[in-house]
Amino acid sequence: MISAQTEADVIDAVRDARAKSRTLEIMSRGTKRAYGRPMSCDDVLNVSALSGIVKYEPAELILTVLPGTPVAEITTLLDSKHQRLGFEPVDWGAMLGTATGKSTIGGVLSADVNGAAAIRYGRARDSLLGIRAVNGLAESYKAGGKVVKNVTGFDLPKLMCGAMGTLGVLTEVTLRVYPKPPQSVSLIVRDVSVEDGFALLRRVWQSPLEATALAYIPASVPITQLGYVGEGAALIRLEGAHEPLKEKIAALLAIARSAQPIEAANVFDSISRGTIFAGRNCDLWRVSVPSSEAAGIVRQMGSSVFAADWAGGSLWIGLDAGGNGAELRAHCERADGQATLVKADEETRQRVAPFPPEPAARRALTRSVKAAFDPQNVFNPGRMWKAV
Amino acid sequence: MADTAGLAAFDGDALTAYRQKALACVLPKTKEQVSAVLKFAGEEGIAIVPRGAGTSLSGGALPLADAILMGMGRMNRILEIDYENRCVVTEPGVTNLSITRAVEVRGFYYAPDPSSQIACTVGGNVAENSGGIHCLKYGLTTHNLLGVEMVLPGGDRVRLGGKAGDGGLDLLGIAAGSEGLLGIVVEATLRILPKPPVTRTLMAAFRSVPDAGQCVADIIGAGVIPAAMEFMDKNCIGAVEDYCSPGYPRDAEGILIIEVDGVAAEAAHAAERVTEIAKAAGASAVTEAFDENERIRLWAGRKAAFPAMGRLAPDMLCMDGTIPRHALPRVLIRMAEMSKKYGLGFCNVFHAGDGNLHPLIIFDVMKEGELARAEAFGAAILQLCVEVGGVLTGEHGVGVEKRDLMPVMFTDADLAQQQRLKCAFDSAGLFNPGKVFPTLSACVELGHMHVKGGRVPFPNLPRF
Repeated sequence: MISAQTEADVIDAVRDARAKSRTLEIMSRGTKRAYGRPMSCDDVLNVSALSGIVKYEPAELILTVLPGTPVAEITTLLDSKHQRLGFEPVDWGAMLGTATGKSTIGGVLSADVNGAAAIRYGRARDSLLGIRAVNGLAESYKAGGKVVKNVTGFDLPKLMCGAMGTLGVLTEVTLRVYPKPPQSVSLIVRDVSVEDGFALLRRVWQSPLEATALAYIPASVPITQLGYVGEGAALIRLEGAHEPLKEKIAALLAIARSAQPIEAANVFDSISRGTIFAGRNCDLWRVSVPSSEAAGIVRQMGSSVFAADWAGGSLWIGLDAGGNGAELRAHCERADGQATLVKADEETRQRVAPFPPEPAARRALTRSVKAAFDPQNVFNPGRMWKAV
Repeated sequence: MADTAGLAAFDGDALTAYRQKALACVLPKTKEQVSAVLKFAGEEGIAIVPRGAGTSLSGGALPLADAILMGMGRMNRILEIDYENRCVVTEPGVTNLSITRAVEVRGFYYAPDPSSQIACTVGGNVAENSGGIHCLKYGLTTHNLLGVEMVLPGGDRVRLGGKAGDGGLDLLGIAAGSEGLLGIVVEATLRILPKPPVTRTLMAAFRSVPDAGQCVADIIGAGVIPAAMEFMDKNCIGAVEDYCSPGYPRDAEGILIIEVDGVAAEAAHAAERVTEIAKAAGASAVTEAFDENERIRLWAGRKAAFPAMGRLAPDMLCMDGTIPRHALPRVLIRMAEMSKKYGLGFCNVFHAGDGNLHPLIIFDVMKEGELARAEAFGAAILQLCVEVGGVLTGEHGVGVEKRDLMPVMFTDADLAQQQRLKCAFDSAGLFNPGKVFPTLSACVELGHMHVKGGRVPFPNLPRF
């Protein structure tokens, strides 16, 4: 394992790998190593020591950090100024059977894992304003900026989100942050079907209440904290200062008369983290579909292991371990969505493409883009698809 | 279209200092036609310049004498309004404002609102990643864009993103703001938002510009994100009062127009906080529009800033840089010094919430050397923006206008990486050549050869 302490170390490591035609697995704390296609790289480039706050300017809503900085450290820092990250970064460590509480901001951005509040504030890519990175030619470069409003040059920061480290090594990231509302309340609507529950969540989403979480849990995935849920429960999080929040709750009751406040703030987190499925022997798929299609997908698949975030727009579906997901993907395609295999054993992730297969013209473009950043295939080869 | 009169109608955009007729102009009506033209152009090695409504302020749609200009204005149908999933699928030639017009009956709107929204098209908005006055709270085009269908150089069509994303590399994020260098958008899926039930508009007057700057920082620092927060300086207030009398205080050094929105109690809470903070920051007066007419009148002045300044001199250059908000007082002082140095008048209007400056430089192109001085003044302002930690363009794009300033912000290695990405889409370099990048370079050099010392090859290659 090569441990990089500075950007210069990263450049050296990449230059060396390039000269010797070796491949590098880019790793920080390694909490998401079991996500994506299994790889066999010649070396691991550990970037976890590239950690620390570079600059935090609360009045600018801007935070610049090194990518190996633990998310927990960032959360604590922002909290001290009543601010937070909008996309509510998620720790998949426990679900993927690695360490919990260790995920770093670089890993979260690279894997594009977003929490419940992303339905209100956008995903990680919407908050990443600027980067420094090292490409496959062992050159460092910067892109984007350190201000919220910027259109100077291509928006390379967005491209790095969700690229799973296949395009380069991040060495600095600049994020926009948001004020944290003074109060937050979670509400539950019990005993609603998937169809009715998702429709209800959509009505809230279409209203000006700016809900920061819209989730659904079926009875088949019990959460003790929620008590009786009947067929299933719709869960809504509203936020604001005292008076505005009172008005929002009243408006919500006009949409869903039976909504009740509940002490369940961490339920949303446990859904995004997938920890509600602990102990189940199944593969976990993450499905993105237009919300109106989500209930149909759940019914068609008939699995009792599922949960919804983003008013159904983001679904977890558990399927028999070792399956190929072909049926799920066919349903998703008809619904203008797609499915990603998040948790499965190594053999399955080798055999089944974890990331959605691409149509021919798009596949060619993806490969050209990969080559534009990493022409010799140094970084995480095959992590997303065979050639990328 | 290849006749002189026809081409003259498309000989430039809103960066009016530059004019050029195209080789030919095509106005496709379907995706298939776009594909066919791009296939032909690819085979013949003819360059392509895409054009929406031609409202670009940076010369993004400026034609080239040896290129086909592709005007997208005839692809102007909204294809689907999907309220359930809060999105609209549209052709690229539909204007920005018609998206809101199409969905407002059900209480929705499309958030990006560039000042040219009556005329500018969705396709142009995607290319330029257009902003507007509500960006701090509601984002730029890229934050409100779910997907596009794009025709690549050579004619292949690809979908990037979609109603529920695509699960692959975020090429949609690259398409937004790509200034017509990567392909032609033939369909876009846009996010629509529920209209906030209450909007309240306040005006705070200041005796000193730094006080106004402090007020902006304090509002954001207090956790209030206004829907809009606009600054105008004394020069601008005077010009606007002469032009349309919106009722701004002529004796103020600067004013802020601050708009807050949300459910009633939220807007009330924010309005209250803003008023307190403005007073504490030294505002000489804080007033609120008492009804919708008054609100429209307050905004009318801000929206008339350009034409009002335009009356003071025959020509005007509108700059567009973004700075960190804390650098505001320093930047304003330096700009006043520059105004003296270059001997040209200017005024400052800007989107204070996001630090996006729009200095307006006034000059007379008929007077010997004034255009050159105005451009030099503008370039100096943008260099200053970068120097204080900001960027060259917040929402107008690089185009031809700021192309030669790119090295102020980016190193050769930064630009080479951007150009390699361009080559991944357009290996023959046929799309909007001469825009954005200060140096034209052959893709084969960037992609497959070591770039020595970070320098791109053929630095002396002529520019189109």
